[in-house]
Amino acid sequence: MNRWLNRFVTLLLTAVIGWGAWSVIHWLLVAADWRVVVSNLPLYAVGSYPVDQRWRPLLWMVALFVLIGITLLGPRRGPLQRWLPLLWIAMAPVGLWLVAGGLMLQPVSTRDWGGFTLTLLLTFGSGLLALPLGVLLALGRRSRLPVLRLSSTAYIELMRAVPLIAVLFFGQLLIPLFLPPGLEINRVLRAVLAFALFAAAYIAEDVRGGLQAIPPTQREAAAVLGLSEWQSLQLVVLPQALRTALPSLTNQAVGLLQNTSLMAILGLVELLGISRSLLANPVFIGRFLEVYLWLAAVYWLACTAMALLSRHLELRLDPLRSDR
Amino acid sequence: MRRRSLLLQVGIASLLLALLALLVNNLAVNLLRTGLGLDFGWLGRPSGFALAESALPYSPSDSYLWALTIGWLNSLKVIAAGLVLATLLGVAAGAARSSSNRLLRSVAGGYVALIRQVPLLLQLLFWYFVAFLGLPETPIGDLIRLSNQGISLLGVPLSVEFCAVLTGLTVFTGASIAEIVRGGVNAVPRGQWEAFRSLGLSEGLGLRRIVLPQALPAILPALTSQYLNLAKNSTLAIAVGYADLYAVSDTTITQTGRAIEGFLLLLISFLLLNLLISGGMAGINATVLGRLRRSR
Repeated sequence: MNRWLNRFVTLLLTAVIGWGAWSVIHWLLVAADWRVVVSNLPLYAVGSYPVDQRWRPLLWMVALFVLIGITLLGPRRGPLQRWLPLLWIAMAPVGLWLVAGGLMLQPVSTRDWGGFTLTLLLTFGSGLLALPLGVLLALGRRSRLPVLRLSSTAYIELMRAVPLIAVLFFGQLLIPLFLPPGLEINRVLRAVLAFALFAAAYIAEDVRGGLQAIPPTQREAAAVLGLSEWQSLQLVVLPQALRTALPSLTNQAVGLLQNTSLMAILGLVELLGISRSLLANPVFIGRFLEVYLWLAAVYWLACTAMALLSRHLELRLDPLRSDR
Repeated sequence: MRRRSLLLQVGIASLLLALLALLVNNLAVNLLRTGLGLDFGWLGRPSGFALAESALPYSPSDSYLWALTIGWLNSLKVIAAGLVLATLLGVAAGAARSSSNRLLRSVAGGYVALIRQVPLLLQLLFWYFVAFLGLPETPIGDLIRLSNQGISLLGVPLSVEFCAVLTGLTVFTGASIAEIVRGGVNAVPRGQWEAFRSLGLSEGLGLRRIVLPQALPAILPALTSQYLNLAKNSTLAIAVGYADLYAVSDTTITQTGRAIEGFLLLLISFLLLNLLISGGMAGINATVLGRLRRSR
């Protein structure tokens, strides 16, 4: 770049950043009123969950934070590392048990679930359902059997053509219509199902990308060793394909967490939904900027934590890493 | 082997058909129970709701079909403007990320890192409630007027809702496009730049003749999928009350209770829209790549 142009750009950017920083500081000192955030922290965390039972979702979230901390900062080897995958898998059922109740805990209806707890549960639940479904769809799309290939392709392409909000809206409306009369499932479960059906189509394409990256020699080698087609898929092809697809699967997971905010439009009080009802409270009228900045910080931290965890997993799974 | 695969296919096909039959049967039972049936006659009846903005004349006494058409046009308006602006912003930010100016580079990097980790819906609400509804009345000359009632650009009035959706989509998609542009340009080996520089080609000519022909084949397909995302994301306009196709469909379904028919119409609309965008991009792809090849 031309030297004078370079200096001019630097000067201009400095001026803009300085002006921006000045307005932010001015707003923070003079206009901002953080009561809408500070006095409602429990609501952001757990929504309208019964007050005497709040320790349950809070305990789950604290356990999750500790687990993230141990995973990212803990010792690189030792017994703890061996138990980590198991602990991670246990987080979803334990969370569901803690939040929903039953088995010695007082049951809490899904109507009372809310806040960041609900955001996390929606993400976890639909992610866990969508991953196996997505893998099946990806395998189906690459199958030699035309019936399987065509039906998988049709599902993936149709789902990817429709906007998520429409899938969620019609999930709420239509899922009951497709079920036998008398069988009713609640709003949260309907949302999880709709999210999972939607995300599976995108996950399928990422997994398919991973499958395509596996050279055919791998399958041939597995066949020569006498592995059956199923064994070769399970032991040779899928582990490598999923590892290759991990970065794009992470993007899907981050997208899933961000997209749970769409349920606010459809009336669930997850993190964004509870904020909308707080902003409707006359006491906090007009405090949009404080709330949105706070939410942006929470979402940003959660998404960044997910990206870091996935990076960590990628390194752990890297076959070329030396310190194993 | 052939027999087995044929049997397997028949098995899978009958399983899928059975599942489909079960779902359709449940649907039929439920539709009969609620007395709805499948029927598109309601499309001709007057809608009875007003729309805040319409490109063609519209009143509540017009039919649902016309209301949906107006929604279509509103969607097309914001998507078309969004595609152009997001591309401009994305290319600028992508170029800024590989600029030699360190401050410019980090500003662009910060923009991408921040925007991609915050939900689009939250960003839209921010643009609407904080940025555009908080605008003070500021006439900038005669041609541009800003206020919280809307923006007037060269005499063309734009509603606050439209501006908020357009800004949100542009800023959000621009960040993804910036990453695509950077990735595409970085994929061209450094040696190519050094080679055209040592041949004495100017930066502009080298970029046009050497770098872009190699970067574009990687950039264009990814750009198409971002454009499709932008079109799908435009449905979040409902959160700020912009009367796009999805918002009108939502109101229509709530009023008529015709969820299945409404969903089918929306599905067809989006398949058409996707076809339009990917078809257009395939055309651009072919022309651009063809021209680049010829000019080499």
